[in-house]
Amino acid sequence: MAPALLVLLGVLAYPIGASLLLGFQDATIAGGGVTSEWIGLGNYERMLSDPTFAIALRNSLYFTFVEVIAVVIISLAVALLLNHLGNRSGFFVVILLIPWALAPVANAVLWKWIYNANYGILNTVLLQLGLIDQKVVWLGDPFLALNMMLIADSWKAVPFITLLLLAGLQNVPSQLYRAARVDGASTWARFRHVTLPGLRVPILVAVVLQSIWALKVFDLVFVLTKGGPMDGTVVLNFLAWRVTFNFLDLGYGAAIANVLFGIMFILALIYVRALDPDRKRRRPAAE
Amino acid sequence: MTKRRLYIPTGFSRRSFLKRSGAAAAGLAAASMMPAWASALAQDKTTLRALVPAAPDPTPPGVPNATFSAETNAAFDAWQAANNAVVAYEDVPWPQLHDKMAANFASGVHTHDVVYMSGWVPEFADFLVPFVDDLPSGLVSDLPASSFSTVTWDGRKMGVVFTLSLLTTFYNQAMFDAEGIGAPPKDWAELLGIAEQLTKDGKYGWVLNYGETAGIGGVATYWFVFLQQAGGHLYDQNGQPDFNNEAGVDSLQMMMDLMPFTDPGSITYVGINDATNVFSAGNAAMMLNWPFMWLPANDPESSAIAGQVGAALNPAGPAGSASIDGTDAYTITQTAPDPELARKLIEFYLDPAVQKSQSIDTGWLPIRLSVLNDPEVQEKSANAKVVLEQAQYPYDSYVTPDFTEVTIAISTEIQKALTGQQDAATTIANMTDQVSAIVARRG
Repeated sequence: MAPALLVLLGVLAYPIGASLLLGFQDATIAGGGVTSEWIGLGNYERMLSDPTFAIALRNSLYFTFVEVIAVVIISLAVALLLNHLGNRSGFFVVILLIPWALAPVANAVLWKWIYNANYGILNTVLLQLGLIDQKVVWLGDPFLALNMMLIADSWKAVPFITLLLLAGLQNVPSQLYRAARVDGASTWARFRHVTLPGLRVPILVAVVLQSIWALKVFDLVFVLTKGGPMDGTVVLNFLAWRVTFNFLDLGYGAAIANVLFGIMFILALIYVRALDPDRKRRRPAAE
Repeated sequence: MTKRRLYIPTGFSRRSFLKRSGAAAAGLAAASMMPAWASALAQDKTTLRALVPAAPDPTPPGVPNATFSAETNAAFDAWQAANNAVVAYEDVPWPQLHDKMAANFASGVHTHDVVYMSGWVPEFADFLVPFVDDLPSGLVSDLPASSFSTVTWDGRKMGVVFTLSLLTTFYNQAMFDAEGIGAPPKDWAELLGIAEQLTKDGKYGWVLNYGETAGIGGVATYWFVFLQQAGGHLYDQNGQPDFNNEAGVDSLQMMMDLMPFTDPGSITYVGINDATNVFSAGNAAMMLNWPFMWLPANDPESSAIAGQVGAALNPAGPAGSASIDGTDAYTITQTAPDPELARKLIEFYLDPAVQKSQSIDTGWLPIRLSVLNDPEVQEKSANAKVVLEQAQYPYDSYVTPDFTEVTIAISTEIQKALTGQQDAATTIANMTDQVSAIVARRG
């Protein structure tokens, strides 16, 4: 147990603690090294008046909220289809895994070309279908670019969540469906009263995991837009990187990263609780 | 019907996976460090570590995938032998350079002896050694005096620029000929007129990467070109913003006036290559570009307009032509155990024969005036004359320790103007406020 704890302390606790401490300092790279001065909550107060931080927070929350809903709904639909196929779903599962297997940067480059205003296949297909009459600059408007990034990230996220929900579907006892059919329940009634309750935990796990992954998106922003146009696609993770490595403002960058860590920590607690909701009940009672 | 479950092979567990992954990672890490250790230990030589960009950005001889001639590579090997040294390169894609050196310098650990810089010398001046005064006088006198402006901070020359890399105007001669346009634009009025005339049938008169906000080659530095053409400058003698005036507004307005004739994707192009792809495909008639793009723009394997590319002096604004300097330079770090040997390596890179090979083989023009005027260099790099002429006009890149932060702030505002969200005067005023705030923190 002790060696494992040491590793955890070194790999996890030390960097997290160092980042928390750095967030309370005005630290920069100057004078031949890192200079720092304790400023307490100064960096966090600065966030309150930093318009770019407000944009990043808004974008991160929007991105996370919309992506979680989209990914869970799409994944549930795909999982239901695959479950319906039963033993014939193997080929489709393999195809489904391809987006998930792509490296994040490769995924970003792929979508960069799809969205290219001049040569992108998206414009080509839509023009040929007559759905648009001139090429669209998909990444030229901040809100549109943010939503196009959502599509790119959701495409990559759906496979894993689908498999998660598929595993959950396969754990729903088939006798419940038979009993429901015998009682005359419609397809929708069976979905609502048998399938969904049986998927409560997997859906909660999917929501929490996908929220964490959506919050920490970076590669897409870096490759597709570099936070533009007009800082319109800046998210918290990207802003933390930019402040730290572009501006060399280590303290403020750490503070932004700490805010992101705090949000994800809360989500992680929910995740742990969702995995084992009966943990509290099993604790031995005090004698 | 039996439902299928996920199959997990026996003997595979989380613990065994973590163990194997850890062992593999440790093995890879050790293997990656082996070449330098093995080479130096086996031959009892000094290892010089250099951080440089990966090709096609400027790479010195000896870097994998660099396209120097066999003679130059042999000269590099001979230099290593003569100096009992092994040069270990770390060549990374250009966009990653700044982050890597920031992390390296912050660590305080010696990682490199020679480091490539592009506008970052003032930012990292405290980590560098002022070695220029130790260079041979014959070498220094063969370099443009102005080339030291971007590598000098606080009165100390911290690096040496090794390539004359100024933005000039590239144009598509075939598109010009088709419209009966006899010469590239000489001034802003002609630039606007020609751009408008050539914008039709899905093609555009102008293209640039307005999606990049940071540093050299970002939209802010393109505005620096127009600002100097308008007779303006970014800072006054006290280092305060000095562009909230007619020159500042007119230069930005010029960029805005070009927008109807600019490839609309320009606002999304985050790299110069994105814009160059459009130009090389024959879909845009003109762009600002760096001298090194001359070779690939005329290479039939990478360009649809090979042999049809022209290079010209940037069109003059009210105060004449102007440009910016790419500021590609070599520097020596303070942690270098043998700064003298590092300086000798940089002298090798600036050797006339190596500089000539740099120009002819890689397309990156030399910085040495004697080599720039070499007939063979001028024949192979037809744009060398144009760049030399461009160097007669202002080309200040306004580098400061917070250059990245300043350019991002300026670029973000300029993007708002280019997309029609605010007018030039408001944009210039906003830019002035933001740069003032950054300068105030500069101290």
